[in-house]
Amino acid sequence: MMTQTSEALAPAIDRTAARTFDPLSKVGDEQAFRQEIRDWLAAVLPADWRKQWQQTRESDLRGVMTWWLEERRKVGLATPHWPKAWGGPGISFAYQIMVYEELSRADAPELDIFTISLFHTPATLFEHGTQDQIDRYLGGITQGTDIWCQGFSEPGAGSDLASLRTAAIRDGDDYIVNGQKIWSSSSMHADYCLLLARTDPNGKRKHDGISYFIMDMKSPGITVRPIRQITGESEFAEVFMDDVRIPAKNLIGAEGNGWNIAQSTLSTERGLLIFGSTERLARSFALDRVDAKDSWMRDVGLRREYAGFYAELQAIRLMVRRLLAELEANPEKASPTLPTFIKLNWGPFLQSYSEFLVRAEGLEAQKWQPSIPGTGHSSRLRFNDFLKSYGWTVAGGSNEIMRNIISERILAMPRG
Amino acid sequence: MSDEFDLDVLAESFSEFLEGEWPKEKAIAYERSDQSYDADLWSAMAGLGWTALTAPEAEGGLGLGTAAAAHLHAALGAAVTPTPMLGTLLATTLLGATGAEGARGLLAGIIDGSLRVAVAEPNAVPVQTDGKTISGTARDLLDAPGANLLLVRIALAGQPGWVAIDADAPGVSIHRYTLADTTRSLGDVTLDNVQIGEGRLIRPTAGAALDDLLTRQACVAIAADSLGGGEAVLKITIEYMKVREQFGRLIGSFQALKHRVADHHAALVGARELVLNAATIPDDDDGALLAALSTKAHVAAVTADIARDCIQLHGGVGFTSEFSPHLYLKRAKLNEALYGTRTAILDRVADMLEAA
Repeated sequence: MMTQTSEALAPAIDRTAARTFDPLSKVGDEQAFRQEIRDWLAAVLPADWRKQWQQTRESDLRGVMTWWLEERRKVGLATPHWPKAWGGPGISFAYQIMVYEELSRADAPELDIFTISLFHTPATLFEHGTQDQIDRYLGGITQGTDIWCQGFSEPGAGSDLASLRTAAIRDGDDYIVNGQKIWSSSSMHADYCLLLARTDPNGKRKHDGISYFIMDMKSPGITVRPIRQITGESEFAEVFMDDVRIPAKNLIGAEGNGWNIAQSTLSTERGLLIFGSTERLARSFALDRVDAKDSWMRDVGLRREYAGFYAELQAIRLMVRRLLAELEANPEKASPTLPTFIKLNWGPFLQSYSEFLVRAEGLEAQKWQPSIPGTGHSSRLRFNDFLKSYGWTVAGGSNEIMRNIISERILAMPRG
Repeated sequence: MSDEFDLDVLAESFSEFLEGEWPKEKAIAYERSDQSYDADLWSAMAGLGWTALTAPEAEGGLGLGTAAAAHLHAALGAAVTPTPMLGTLLATTLLGATGAEGARGLLAGIIDGSLRVAVAEPNAVPVQTDGKTISGTARDLLDAPGANLLLVRIALAGQPGWVAIDADAPGVSIHRYTLADTTRSLGDVTLDNVQIGEGRLIRPTAGAALDDLLTRQACVAIAADSLGGGEAVLKITIEYMKVREQFGRLIGSFQALKHRVADHHAALVGARELVLNAATIPDDDDGALLAALSTKAHVAAVTADIARDCIQLHGGVGFTSEFSPHLYLKRAKLNEALYGTRTAILDRVADMLEAA
């Protein structure tokens, strides 16, 4: 079978009538800015990109996603959320939100494999890295040539991340790293890894003695083993480190300060990613009732159940909008608790609604189809979306951890 | 005026007053009193201008909108007050929308609280009338037993409308139903050849738009009442779980219990957004009714579930009338039933989504 590469996508677009698009030149005029993005998307995004990407094999995933990042880069929207200091466009948060809104409305692909590269890495480097680190790594991110992954979770340190055991021991100008990471998204594609490892096993608390490193994924001693998920895809992998040498200059921040650095950069996406995700689902939700107008929307029980999800989805969208509005007004004063409430509503909602669609669509939903990269939780392949919803109820702090946080930290209930 | 008004400050003033004037002990004691409303509390509220909240300034009201009303109803729900404020809100809108002088003249009494109004739901079975006299029964009219003014749904020559009838007019009799939620009551209003007073007929020129506006305001107010109740009963329950010990430990430390509390709290954060959103959509916005209906169905159900679980989380004392969770459960269940059951509303929401 011929492989689908980024080049193979190009002929699907009629380039004869192509004009150049420059949404950033329209900043200041909201309507013109949105219109420019819409025109650009209409011109550049193949109508059948979902079908094309669905045929993409895992080995070509990087190719198609790099193609899309490159298209975005051409119009200055590869990193719309980056300030000027990072080499980004430096547009206001309101305009960043518009970009994400328009991308969602047009069902443009999500750039999953670049999430760490585009959000966490620059935030970490600019806040805690050295100038040398910034100079060395930033170019590869903006040019879309480098993919980064995160090496945080371990088999014995999931929800209880601070108990991680991967060891980094100083040896001359290097650290020698041994251990195992798991659930590392896109690590099989990654060039670099943001790694948390224990440099001091004798810390007073388990949070002490953890350090934050940049690890070159081509280093000898690294083995990456993709994890086959219940959806059949492999979006993340296990990373084994066997006497891997990391130069000491790749330490981010002070030795032993890794936990604090990790905390400060975990929430760098400032609501934009979940905003994109909820808006995509809202689009999909509206399509679902149209597609089902001659099938399950004629069943009074299912139709009613569908209507019940409407308010739940609206509540989540309103919470996300409030979060964005608060961040826009003053990031320092934004509610620290709202993201937790959003997560504990969004994950379970996604799971219930996707389960509902599986049930509503009967045998049709049981027919297995390869998943579609870049569609997040709105691939509209019912069984895939349902299974993938565990990504929100388990990953990034499971529902149970969210419930602990809410009851103990927010509501001040006694610890168990 | 509403632009200058800080609604959060207003909301705080509602809560503060009610915490002092209608503490839990009073709410618990009231359950056994067999009254249709609390006269002292009602006068105090009227004295503070709460009954004038949404009335037009030109008529002597405060001229505030649905958002202010939502804050008031959230506070009333939190304090489980026995006060017919929903009737005041709806009657203000209904009478304000009519050109009939006689009906408009009733606004003054609503504003000063001397009139307590029972307003029929727009989808109530109408009582037929020729416009001069009226005979028939209006069933299950909310707060009719404590009201002195009744706004009954009518049909006149096939056209829907309303008539304002004094509760003590000759030919009016009201059969009172005590409810599980004793803060409110229902009445079957029987009209036997009752004379319709000068200008007391309300025949809306706007037709269905007025029905929609009333439904919208009622749903927002009921959703807000539920929200306030849900937040209050959960707060009470959390406080109890922080002091109650079993097996030598505070029961609030048990994960099996506090995780339920966390879910309830997260659901209420979402519910609050829905209520605030539904309450601030402009009246003439196409999405106003959809937001109000879907919000009412959702928030009423969320609070009913939370109140139900809060009795369970209290354990034995939750089953006693001395503790307050049962008051919230009863009120929440009535809120679920008012202005359409969940299933009826969801069918309508589905219709509206499909039509959009």
